[in-house]
Amino acid sequence: MRILALFRREIQVGPRSPMLLWAVLVPVLLTVLVRSVFGSLFQPQPRLAVVDEGSSVLTEQLLQLDDIEVTVLASADELREKVEANDFDAGLVLQSGFDAAVESGDQPELHLYISGESLASNRIILEITALDLIRGLTDDNPLVNVKVVSLGDEGYDLVTRLLPMLMIYAVVIGGAFIPAMSLVQEREAQTIDAVLATPATMDEVLMAKGLFGFVLAILTGVFTLFLNSAWGVHPWAMLAALAVAGVMMAEFGLILGSVASDSTMLFTLLKSAGLLIVFPVIFPLFPSLPQWIAWLGPTYYFLDPVFKIAIEGAGLADVWLPLSAGALICVALVPIVRILGRRLAARLAVTT
Amino acid sequence: MIRIVWAIIRKDIAQMSRDRFFAYITILGLVVYVVLFWALPSTVDETLDLGVHGVGANLLAEQLGGEEGLDLAVFDTSDALERAVTDGELVAGVDFPDDFLPTIATGAQATVTVYVPADTTDDIRTAISGLVRELAYLVAGTTLPITAPAEDEVVLGPDRAGDQVPLKDKLRPLLAIFLLMMEMMSLASLIAQEIRSKTVTAVLVTPARTTDFLAAKTILGTALAFVEVAVLMAAIRAFGSSPTVLLTALLLGSFLVTGMALLAGSTGRDFIEILLLSVALIVPMMIPAGAAMFPGSAAPWIKVLPAYGMTQAIVRASAYGAGWAEAAPYLLTTLAWCVGVFALGVFMLKRKVETL
Repeated sequence: MRILALFRREIQVGPRSPMLLWAVLVPVLLTVLVRSVFGSLFQPQPRLAVVDEGSSVLTEQLLQLDDIEVTVLASADELREKVEANDFDAGLVLQSGFDAAVESGDQPELHLYISGESLASNRIILEITALDLIRGLTDDNPLVNVKVVSLGDEGYDLVTRLLPMLMIYAVVIGGAFIPAMSLVQEREAQTIDAVLATPATMDEVLMAKGLFGFVLAILTGVFTLFLNSAWGVHPWAMLAALAVAGVMMAEFGLILGSVASDSTMLFTLLKSAGLLIVFPVIFPLFPSLPQWIAWLGPTYYFLDPVFKIAIEGAGLADVWLPLSAGALICVALVPIVRILGRRLAARLAVTT
Repeated sequence: MIRIVWAIIRKDIAQMSRDRFFAYITILGLVVYVVLFWALPSTVDETLDLGVHGVGANLLAEQLGGEEGLDLAVFDTSDALERAVTDGELVAGVDFPDDFLPTIATGAQATVTVYVPADTTDDIRTAISGLVRELAYLVAGTTLPITAPAEDEVVLGPDRAGDQVPLKDKLRPLLAIFLLMMEMMSLASLIAQEIRSKTVTAVLVTPARTTDFLAAKTILGTALAFVEVAVLMAAIRAFGSSPTVLLTALLLGSFLVTGMALLAGSTGRDFIEILLLSVALIVPMMIPAGAAMFPGSAAPWIKVLPAYGMTQAIVRASAYGAGWAEAAPYLLTTLAWCVGVFALGVFMLKRKVETL
């Protein structure tokens, strides 16, 4: 009962902390960052601007192309200005009567402008694609039938491979950082002394703070997964993985909060211990690295199941082994949390 | 006055050096940024590696061998070509059948196999297919359906094909802003600590006046930020042909974050509040630096953000060798922001100190 009362207190006091805002904002900001920056900066699509002065059928065909960003502009002057500024890799002006001139064999001049800063590979792609579509105006039956054969595994795109990174930040801030910060701030403000003057024990205080972190980790985890359309098709398996994540992060938070003497030291510890928590997310990003190294990180044992459930549609039967290992790590951390909690209680008793 | 300001600066340096957190992460940040910068590729890969096999291979190589952006390799067997694509050595492999040339010559349709890795995007699949079809038209003697203009007419702006500015060079302003951010938090934390512990009132009972206190904070903050960011820029070889332009941009940036630190330090009560205020102030600083990494011009709303001028001046001076004339509008915009932010910071801090 006392744990519940302490937990209620955490719920009442916790939302007043500006850090809670971080816990909600960080997954949103990181998702936006990953989708906009990593989606377009490291996997750029060729960008083509089109000005259609005479209702060419090519415009519609260009707009239907996948993996080429096509934008229709109003005037040729605007197109030239934007191509020169490298807002587009190339710009195509389809003058009035262009289609008819091609069909009648008049060979009209092609007004294709290339940005001086565009990549040579993008220039080739856009030039050939435009020429191929123009050929299609007169030739329904090309001389060559091209058979495209895909080889190897498709793998995952960069944005998908960044999902573990988004997840780790979501659960670390909610699950570990907030209970740790709460513990440290209570010590700085000496409110923990007041709590411990009641019949509540240090174990119960830690349990309540851990429970608050656990709930936050689950909530921010669910929020991040939905934000990235990665909830998967097995909700119970996902909740089990998030539960392991929540418990492990809450335990890490309590360990850090018990060891740190003030906010500054907590940040320093987080910067150092953060590497241990975060490093397994590096390996999905670089598939050529030896993946077994990620097994050495405790967070691997919930990140891997979350990824498999979210992306590969795995169920509990597929991920029970790493999840069990994660649960064992959580159990192994319990005595460490208790020992550090008792040492903290002893230190507080000495100082008061 | 100079003696008093110098005495306050010495006191602040001693106080800041005791704050191991900021000292630790400033040094760590500096090292990580330099390592990250040098770990990034220094060239831009703008070439499509294409493999060809079969009777059309030599013809394709002859037609497109010198084409910029295309690297052609001829393979002796289909198996070798397929293996190279599977191993990721090629973007695509074009396998011409043995009867390709005679079939095309008779006007019949030939089938050409194009091997691509499974994750190849549609734009590349479409372009390679188009390339093969175009080759067939060439073999058949079919003319182009259009008239191509001369190349110098179609390339707009300086032609950087084969000489692109690598991403790492565009990353420099962002690294500078990350470092300035740490310095801003460090100074803001020092100010907040002085206000919280009321050491500022102790300083002001000496002959030191509020203006001395503010001058000391400004000089120290700007100097520390400037030295650190200049060291970072030297370590990542940003000083190209326009070192004075770059130094001016860095000095203005340091002054700008000092103004922000005065603002955050006088408003935030504890570490967490300063952290959040600093982040709220620094995010608009980071947006122009992030936008500089993307191709093309920035959106109009990005151009009015405080760090836009500084970012452009750094990119243009370090990557494109821009001189004073080109960088002047950006430096002047940054100067205007510096004056505004600094005035606000001084006003807030002065008011706070006077209420103590």
